[in-house]
Amino acid sequence: MTNHPAIRARGIRKSFGSIDALAGVELEVAAGQIFGLIGPNGAGKTTLMRTLVGALQPDSGEVAVLGLDPMAHRREVRACLGYMPQDPALYEDLSARVNVRFFAAAHVHNPAERAVASLSFVGLADRADYPVHTLSGGMKQRVSLACALAHQPDLLFLDEPTAGIDPKQREVFWDGFRELTAAGKTMVVSTHQMSEALECDRVAIMQAGRVLIAEDPQTLLERGRATIRIWRHGRSEEIVVDNYSVELPRLLADRGGVERVEVQRETLEQIVLRMVNDDNAGHA
Amino acid sequence: MTTPATHRARAIGGRVLRQLRADPRFVAVSLVIPLVIIFLLKVFFDAIDVPMFDQTRFAVPGAAFIVHFVTYILTALVLVRERVGGTMERMFINGYRQLEIIGGYLAAYTVLATWQSLLILTWVAFLFDLGYPIVVYTQIYLVVWLLSVLSMALGILVSNFARTEGQVIPFIPLIVVPSVFLSGMIVAVDELPGWAQVLARFTPLFYANEVLQEIIDGGSLGDAWRPFVALPLLTLAVLVVASRTLREGR
Repeated sequence: MTNHPAIRARGIRKSFGSIDALAGVELEVAAGQIFGLIGPNGAGKTTLMRTLVGALQPDSGEVAVLGLDPMAHRREVRACLGYMPQDPALYEDLSARVNVRFFAAAHVHNPAERAVASLSFVGLADRADYPVHTLSGGMKQRVSLACALAHQPDLLFLDEPTAGIDPKQREVFWDGFRELTAAGKTMVVSTHQMSEALECDRVAIMQAGRVLIAEDPQTLLERGRATIRIWRHGRSEEIVVDNYSVELPRLLADRGGVERVEVQRETLEQIVLRMVNDDNAGHA
Repeated sequence: MTTPATHRARAIGGRVLRQLRADPRFVAVSLVIPLVIIFLLKVFFDAIDVPMFDQTRFAVPGAAFIVHFVTYILTALVLVRERVGGTMERMFINGYRQLEIIGGYLAAYTVLATWQSLLILTWVAFLFDLGYPIVVYTQIYLVVWLLSVLSMALGILVSNFARTEGQVIPFIPLIVVPSVFLSGMIVAVDELPGWAQVLARFTPLFYANEVLQEIIDGGSLGDAWRPFVALPLLTLAVLVVASRTLREGR
């Protein structure tokens, strides 16, 4: 096991014409983690992923994936990574098995065996020989995931893997993700689902091509504001605090005759929205 | 962990062939349409009925042109479809490389082109009652086959400059129309202005037509070895440019 993080990005910038898709991304992902990327559409999540997998050359900045520059060492880096794009990007007229086998064949000598194992992992062993165009949207996503997993990469990039699939299937996906990280894999997952962000070991909030903050979800939640309502002497008082765990004992100690206390903490979604809005206001 | 380039090119070729098998309509159209066009050509020639007009001199080059035209367009479209669908980028990120992709496609479509050339030449021989000796047919077949491989290479090259299927359309006349006028099929290249004679050297059909005319006139491949060798050389040159310009992204 090496000491370097699985991913390190320093000041990555990438523009498409006049649009700054990435405007100085700083990021570090430790090995063995599920790392979530969240943020509004157009925040740069997909561009960042495509840069990290070496599909896009950044205009400036440094990227190291598994200790290597993904552009200069494409061959070595790509042998160790799996990528699931936002759209399934499969050969619709071919079967799930043939798709997975084909993508596995780039790296392994036993693609047929790997295809069987990978399709079993995503729960599609019984549909392996169905042409992809006959499968539902959720099943296509699972085939796409199987393609990314087939060569047993150390590092997985999954771009909105659960977009458009039902909550039950989403649960199946996340069970699989946890199984993979338990086996030592590192995963970078972009999502719009806050419930999924809470499942990650760390989460980066992206906005306008930058990472606003990267923390574990619990720390992020603790950074959220809390609305504290205190009843005393028959009257109520509402106070908004930034650091609830420190502020609440102090507020109670300052006030006597407290009859009742209600605390409403920001959800992760509210925290993300507030940070994004604050950032927008700051750049307006 | 990785596999050799030949293994990966074979995987791509195998996958493309499976796609062809899964799409019999595409295969049928690419095989049948040239036959229909040649049949219409025969009807047209019969209607002209000009004395001294030797149909057979135009039949084989005409068939070569149709192989060139159909193969070029189909290859370009199929590769652009791969780019539009995101599978091109996925192939690259998954570790496949330019030369493997081009080699795999070329190998798979060569199978189709081999059958297509054979079918078309048989059809032309039957319709126009050519009655050449078998050695002449073999040489003609070799030339048409080489032309179809070159046409595929051109299709691959052109697909690199199109991001949608629609963007392929302007490239079709760009290659096809000069081929007709500059290849010597209709007007002898010597009678064209100097600049057009130079331009003619860039059209694959020019070389194919030179060799085919020689063979039809009773010569052999050896008599027209220069244009004959030009076909694989041009294919190689186009493939080198195609592999250099094949981009990962959409």
